[in-house]
Amino acid sequence: MTAVVAPYWEFAKKAFAREATYRFEVFTNVGSLILRVYLLRCLWTALYAQNAAPMNLPLHAMITYATVALLMSLVLEIDGTRLIQEKLREGTIATDLMKPISLPLYFFSDGAGRTLLYAVLVIPTLLCALLLVHIDVPPPATLGTFALSFLVAYCVNFVLNFCMNAIAFWTLETFALQLIVRWVSDLLSGQIVPLTLFPGLAGRLLFALPFAAIYSTPLLIYVGIIHPSGWRNALIVQCLWLAAFGLAAFGIWRAAARRIVIQGG
Amino acid sequence: MPPIIETHDLRKVFRTVRRRPGALGALRTLFSREYEERVAVSRVTMAIEPGELVGYIGPNGAGKSTTIKMLTGILVPTSGDVTVAGVVPYAARGRNARNIGVVFGQRSQLYWDLPLVESFELLRAIYAIPRDRYRRNLDAFVDLLAMADFLQTPVRQLSLGQRMRGDFAAAMLHDPKIVYLDEPTIGLDVVAKEAIRTFIARINSERGTTIVLTTHDLADVERLCRRIILIDRGAIIYDGDVERIKNEYGRFRTLVVHFAQPVAQPQLEGAELVCVEGSTARLRFDRTRERAERLIRQASERYALEDVSIEEPDLESIIRRIYIEGYDSFPEEAST
Repeated sequence: MTAVVAPYWEFAKKAFAREATYRFEVFTNVGSLILRVYLLRCLWTALYAQNAAPMNLPLHAMITYATVALLMSLVLEIDGTRLIQEKLREGTIATDLMKPISLPLYFFSDGAGRTLLYAVLVIPTLLCALLLVHIDVPPPATLGTFALSFLVAYCVNFVLNFCMNAIAFWTLETFALQLIVRWVSDLLSGQIVPLTLFPGLAGRLLFALPFAAIYSTPLLIYVGIIHPSGWRNALIVQCLWLAAFGLAAFGIWRAAARRIVIQGG
Repeated sequence: MPPIIETHDLRKVFRTVRRRPGALGALRTLFSREYEERVAVSRVTMAIEPGELVGYIGPNGAGKSTTIKMLTGILVPTSGDVTVAGVVPYAARGRNARNIGVVFGQRSQLYWDLPLVESFELLRAIYAIPRDRYRRNLDAFVDLLAMADFLQTPVRQLSLGQRMRGDFAAAMLHDPKIVYLDEPTIGLDVVAKEAIRTFIARINSERGTTIVLTTHDLADVERLCRRIILIDRGAIIYDGDVERIKNEYGRFRTLVVHFAQPVAQPQLEGAELVCVEGSTARLRFDRTRERAERLIRQASERYALEDVSIEEPDLESIIRRIYIEGYDSFPEEAST
């Protein structure tokens, strides 16, 4: 058993170490995040000064929401599966296929290793952010459910990214597609604006989309808009999306692998 | 012992999109596609015994890489049979992967941003190499390939020669039964080339590793291989001893004569003048029709000589002629 897991644990460790060698990038990422936390606080404060609090979301909850969303993005915006495209373009995917490993698991562990570095950085970033803004801390049960929901969100995000990057097996390049999906998902996943702010049909539609499973669900659990009674259903919906995209990723990977072995790397 | 690598009528046909010329053509290609078939390997049958070191050579596009890819299991043949160490590679890629090691001269399997030794550690985990065997192999390779100085250096800072040595160690750490080497000495200087060749020869003789060497550098083949398999346009055109091909197809020798004084047009019966440079002339003769000794006697009777030498054709010039003129033209020429 350990021999089965060992390579992937090692991949994650190596990815962690590799990411840490790009110190400049790591620090700029964290630095710009703290700046964004501050700017969003200013923005929401200004907006709230003009209007009444919408949908029982007071200013401090809104700022909490925005700050936690940004901290989550530190982890979620690392696209581990981007590696697929690099390997396709450089042709090194052939050497990887000659190894006794599962490539999707390799990509997952590599991505997880890279995100782990940023996950570690979330704590100091949070401390810095706390100097600029004040955020609410919910009771432990809520915090625990948030963590669980965030973990599922991470996996949904991974399989979604995996699907998109795997399209490169056919097109070699998916930059335009990814840009579109990123714009759409940033807006529709509730990273920038809570989905509860969208009125009527639009709001219901957005909750029905998979993007909500990435940012919106964990965040709404954190700020308490999803009450403890709704936690179970929220998590189930997330898991369903994970299963759906997981299956899609599996299918795309099977087709991609078949394409390589038939058409050459 | 049964052959460790065996293929029978192995064939691979690729289907590619036919591209139309011009901008308008490109636009049409975007919307409607026509496919064309390209035969990369048409019929390859070969058997390689355990412990052999075989040169697999042929011009660009002959089908070498396609064959190697089918042997490694990352490409499924269109038809034909292939077994490597008792495993059908494409059907059991993972199992096959544990039996083989691969070195590509043009691309590296090392982790670019990490110290060299960390790539080795990763491979230890991938192949689940027991620690003591890993330690023993690593120590042996560090010693043989003189890697001690750069084990802790990030791979991106290594010279090409150092990186290649790292790649060789990486491919051998798990004691593969078979190693495929694809252009392993490309771009290396003479010293580095020699170090790599010595390493290949030692791995083959001391560990009994079966090695298939694909290269355009025929000096590699001459130095290392007793047997070569020549492939052209997807089919094997020669399979046998390097010596035999040299004897059969290298009928011509070059007599190099250094005269005491320059001679404008030296003439020798039974030899053909190739070129004159100062007081040195090069003459070509067919060793099946003319004996070198007679030519030298003739030359010394006609001219004042300082020195005489005979050049044997190297494998490269023979293979070059086979590439250009085709393999079949040679036996006919020999029989006339």
